[in-house]
Amino acid sequence: MTTTTVLVVDDEKNIRLTLTQALETLGVRVETAVNGEEALQKLEHSPYALMLLDLKMPGMNGLEVLRRMRELRAGVRVIIITAYGTIESAVEAMKLGAVDFIQKPFTPKEIRELVQTVLQRGELSADATDYSTVIELCKRSINEGDFTAALLAAHRAVSLEPSSAEAFNLLGALLEIDGKMDEAIRFYRTAVSLDESYAPAMANLERATTIGRDGAISLDGI
Amino acid sequence: MQDKKGRMNGKYIVIVGCGRLGSYLANTLSQWGASVVIVDLHEESFKLLSPHFGGFRLTGDAVESGVMRQAKLDRADLLVAATHDDNVNLLVAQTALKVFKVPRVLARVYDPRNDDIYQELGIETICPITVAAELFLQAVTEGRLPGEER
Repeated sequence: MTTTTVLVVDDEKNIRLTLTQALETLGVRVETAVNGEEALQKLEHSPYALMLLDLKMPGMNGLEVLRRMRELRAGVRVIIITAYGTIESAVEAMKLGAVDFIQKPFTPKEIRELVQTVLQRGELSADATDYSTVIELCKRSINEGDFTAALLAAHRAVSLEPSSAEAFNLLGALLEIDGKMDEAIRFYRTAVSLDESYAPAMANLERATTIGRDGAISLDGI
Repeated sequence: MQDKKGRMNGKYIVIVGCGRLGSYLANTLSQWGASVVIVDLHEESFKLLSPHFGGFRLTGDAVESGVMRQAKLDRADLLVAATHDDNVNLLVAQTALKVFKVPRVLARVYDPRNDDIYQELGIETICPITVAAELFLQAVTEGRLPGEER
């Protein structure tokens, strides 16, 4: 991973600093941007393996950066930074290929673990049969915008581990993206019944069953 | 100083109470390279933090376990309970130790009479009054008293 470059996009100096410090020990090169505009400029001129992106920034918000980045350059993996207490009801972000979230405050260890998982996802063998690899393959397909493959992998994950709330929630979100809202809600419900403390499924169920059903990610703390 | 910085690098520390003591500890530990989360009931307390403080601020009541979960206390290497209230410090420290299994817990205790209770519960304490009293006594015994020959 010696030549891997990571871009950290956050308006808060302390977050940029914490992430940079934590990631440098992994041996990756870290560059930073203080807002969406600067991030897009950097993305236009240099290749990055991964971007850590804050959703809530003054000016251009994280989702808009994600949207424009997809037009500019595919293949950059994204980890979304969310605020305290915000729940990753992130179907909108998922549509744009972002499926990994880290909630503030974060420990250096969890940042490093997540970054390594996301970076190593590219090297996974597609014929894996164990649950955790299948989940990672599903996320990789989402990163690459291949929702058909992601849906297949999510179905496989559910059959491999029928008690996993994460797998059911992921399947629900992919069905929602596919426009099958009623099926999606059923899977969100299953996820919640399997694990009532699994916040992403709770947030998805709440949003999906609320009038309006706009599927938009909540940018405010819940 | 270099040693302290090395030891603190990568550590995750939760400090409860952003008064004069809490903010001082947060500023220093953050400068030494630790990842610090400071929790206080009132947002205006964070004004005591230095502009160079590189950690996270969390507004909420540390007595509520939901707030402590938000602070990711289960991942902390150290908790410091530094509020102005001994009872709050005791409760926060005990929860950190027993529920969140934090490997090291330090609490400020105002009333030296409460010290024994903390010790019985396995919580390390620092009592500013005892520390100050000992320093005073040391100064008194080491210094010259009127009438004493040099």
